Amino acid sequence: MKKRLLSLVLAATMIFGITGCGTDSDSGTNSGAEEAQSTDDISPATIKFQYWADNTDYSSLMQDIIKKFNDENEYGITVEGEETPWDGGGYSNTLFNAAMGGGAPDVATFKLTATPMFVNNNLFTDLTPYIESWDDKDDIPDNIYRVMREAGGSDSSLYLMPWNTQILYVYYRPSIFEEAGITEIPQTYDEFLEAIKRCTMDTDGDGETDVYGFGMRGGSGGQEPWGSFIHGKGGSFDQLTSEESIQGMQDFIDLYSNGYVPKTATSDGFQETLSNFKSGLTAMFIHHVGSSLGLEEELGDDVAAFMIPKGKGQWTSMGDTETVMFDSCENKAAAFEWMKYLAAYEGQKMWCEGTGQVPVSQSVQQGDYFQNNEFMKVSLEGIDFAGIVPVKDTTTEWISNWPAIISQALTGEISAEECMEQLDQALNQ
Amino acid sequence: MKRKSFFKRFLTLYLPLIVILIFILFPFYWTFITSIKSDSELYGSITYWPKHIQWESYKELFTTTVDFLAAMKNSFIVAITTTIVSLTASTLASYAFSRYRFPGRKAMMALFLSNNMFPTVLLLIPLYTMMRKLGLLYKPQSLVLAYTTFTLPFSVWLLNGFFNDLPLSLEEAALVDGCNRRTAFFKIILPILSPCLVATGVYIFMTSWNEYTFAVMFTNKATRTIPVALKSLIGQLGVDWGLMTAGGIITIIPVCIMFFFAQKRLVEGLTAGAVKG
Amino acid sequence: MIKKKSIYPYLLVAPALIIILCVVFIPVLNAIGMSFQSYDLRRPKDIVFCGLDNYITVFQDKLFWKALWKTILWVVFGVGFQFIFGFILALFLKKEFRGRGAVRAVSLIPWVTPGILIGLMWRWMYDGNYGVINDILGKLHILDKNIPFLSQTNTAFPAVIITIIWQGIPFFALMILAGLQGIPGELYEAADMDGATGIQKLFRITIPSIKNTIFVTALLRIIWVANSVDVIFNMTEGGPAYATQTLSVYVFNKAQALDLGYSSAMAILLALVLCLVAIPYLIFTFKEEES
Repeated sequence: MKKRLLSLVLAATMIFGITGCGTDSDSGTNSGAEEAQSTDDISPATIKFQYWADNTDYSSLMQDIIKKFNDENEYGITVEGEETPWDGGGYSNTLFNAAMGGGAPDVATFKLTATPMFVNNNLFTDLTPYIESWDDKDDIPDNIYRVMREAGGSDSSLYLMPWNTQILYVYYRPSIFEEAGITEIPQTYDEFLEAIKRCTMDTDGDGETDVYGFGMRGGSGGQEPWGSFIHGKGGSFDQLTSEESIQGMQDFIDLYSNGYVPKTATSDGFQETLSNFKSGLTAMFIHHVGSSLGLEEELGDDVAAFMIPKGKGQWTSMGDTETVMFDSCENKAAAFEWMKYLAAYEGQKMWCEGTGQVPVSQSVQQGDYFQNNEFMKVSLEGIDFAGIVPVKDTTTEWISNWPAIISQALTGEISAEECMEQLDQALNQ
Repeated sequence: MKRKSFFKRFLTLYLPLIVILIFILFPFYWTFITSIKSDSELYGSITYWPKHIQWESYKELFTTTVDFLAAMKNSFIVAITTTIVSLTASTLASYAFSRYRFPGRKAMMALFLSNNMFPTVLLLIPLYTMMRKLGLLYKPQSLVLAYTTFTLPFSVWLLNGFFNDLPLSLEEAALVDGCNRRTAFFKIILPILSPCLVATGVYIFMTSWNEYTFAVMFTNKATRTIPVALKSLIGQLGVDWGLMTAGGIITIIPVCIMFFFAQKRLVEGLTAGAVKG
Repeated sequence: MIKKKSIYPYLLVAPALIIILCVVFIPVLNAIGMSFQSYDLRRPKDIVFCGLDNYITVFQDKLFWKALWKTILWVVFGVGFQFIFGFILALFLKKEFRGRGAVRAVSLIPWVTPGILIGLMWRWMYDGNYGVINDILGKLHILDKNIPFLSQTNTAFPAVIITIIWQGIPFFALMILAGLQGIPGELYEAADMDGATGIQKLFRITIPSIKNTIFVTALLRIIWVANSVDVIFNMTEGGPAYATQTLSVYVFNKAQALDLGYSSAMAILLALVLCLVAIPYLIFTFKEEES
């Protein structure tokens, strides 16, 4: 019996190619998955890394980061990048189907909302032991780890490695504000609604609205800016059918039915809200710092930002991107080296500077680039109350159903109350 | 007299043809226009020809991270292989269905018809597992196998329809003349049927050319096909209109050229039939 | 026609049959099995056999009935107009005229275009603010103000149907064109001698001669269009307010949400609905063969 065990361990050692210098106690990790492979175990390995790129610049930036890591890491780890289309969120499904079919990559970029479906099928590695033994783990704020833990549905396990966040705020056109006679940026939620109304103008006097106050996103992904309206009236995701939440929804409907937002709002996604803002059709729209580079390029000085102001409540959406490690990964310690590189070191710096996204690493946040950027400053204003849609196993379906339910309300097929009931049922069924 | 006949020809041929062609081609024209417009011109008052033509997107196509040339090559390999495999198998099967009566024939035909009634999205995980176990994952063969499976049933039925419309007299005459069935098949039927084979082949080619769901699952960087390449131009930060439309145009053109040559076979079949008949 | 017993036809059918059975037989059985289980991969621990529960829930689901109705409209109008335009186009493309080869090649464009590009381009052309369709209709004084076609529940569905018609014309044109080539020229010559008009020739010679082709292409196209998701998905994702959610889109959405049991049950019901079209066709075909 003992001999057999020994030969198994030997075989395992050979398979994993662990070199002789590893300490004996570490190489026998038969106490279960909880125990991490220590850095001593890292051997030259190939890590398959799947990611999506939001545009071709991001794609080449990611390739640069991979190349730099491959050239410079001290363990001889080679990361093989595999780009997969975002496909309007279909990315998560592609990843899921491959993982269920036994073909998961080692590491992948990831959106938090899809966590339950992977965790419930035991596809991810619990990163807790790796993070515990990581010296620089405190470089990432505790509350970010907390959000990641919540998404995984358990206090003791952490499946997501923080990478970057995007906090939503309001972009506005100073020139339109001036034309509408608004001298100061809105300080309260009510002033914000008022500003939307005042910016809605008929500039050439033909009786048709030429400038709309707000670029409402009623199409896919619209739940994020929408959440700010619900919270502005004091409502919340936990109580979607409360009086306050319904009032927030009513505000949202009123903006549409009173013509303060383009008629296309029921189906507008990000692309439409962005182009309407760029062309001057709308005075404001809600998005994160990711679009700031493009907007500055196009509009120069005529674009500025403010954080979604406080009403009875205050909330803004914290977009997120993480990395995850699959349970099928054979060189977990090596894979974690790559995840660390993206979360805190050179990889973090290159990515966030190149894309303008908010770093999770505090030391990277201190860099000049982030301290001097207007839009980044506005983003950081929201860090205390930024949140996410509750992550349940129903969340991904809820998000994909959101536009259909909301557009029923916007077009008057159902009332604000019925709409919130449907949303509540879809999320908490 | 001559003028009148031209006028009649114009009314009965050119005018309706032009109307249909405008409907068919306008979106293509608009794609092209979009690809050479600047961003600021896209979102403003609509122009039917760009004020400033810019070809940057086309240049960018060959330098960007999305490797269009490789994707086109992969798509061609997959689509052409699938066409050959699927067309061969379906020609044989439909010939049997059309010219033989044998037990189990009706059941098999019904089976073929029902094969494509089920949405592929529900078959993805088992198919993926199968490809992985067969060792075909990330190889073009996996797509060829998948596309062959999903084009075969329709091809069999299409060709069966064509076979049934074909007058039997030709074959019978050949058989009476002492040809055996195999010679009759190759010498008589195939030539007459060539327009139908071209049409079915085009169906198979297009289906394989445009498929996305399997392509994104079964390929990797080295074997990506066109639909996947195009889709990677849409991220969370919107669509890269320039690259998207330019990429669309350069992938459409070679297929059109290819079909320009293939369509000649659509006429040859007719003459072959007429001569022999 | 050969009726004597022979191994030959089986050999001919074998390659096609083997490929299909090997690849899809087990996955399809698997999916049928899922429809009788509470097969929700988001809750893998709760997967149990549940009999007809999924089907009962489907029948009580208002969205299912709405989607089924949308599917019927989608197929009837989509395939109907594809056929009519495709048939007309095929008749023209058969005539001799200068540049016919080029015209034939370019009329195939909608079919060559990947679904993702079709969705995006049409979405862009329908755009309520910068869309060229609004501009053209405005210039022709048909509209006095822009219509956000894809954002209204009453215009979105016709708009996506027009797109699928556009996409499907080449299929019919090509298939019918191929069928037309098989009609012997003598038939028309004889009719000409009898002094038949163009319309008479169309209904007495052309259509009867390619009747098998017409039926089979129409049937295959119905199955294909009923199951197609990419055009709708890339244009509207089924919205606004479920206005463009056909059954196949609903199945797709549910499958993406990993409720595979429910999704399979709906897919099977969709297949049964398609059988309502296919079975009469099969009976008719087999009867015709025997007579």
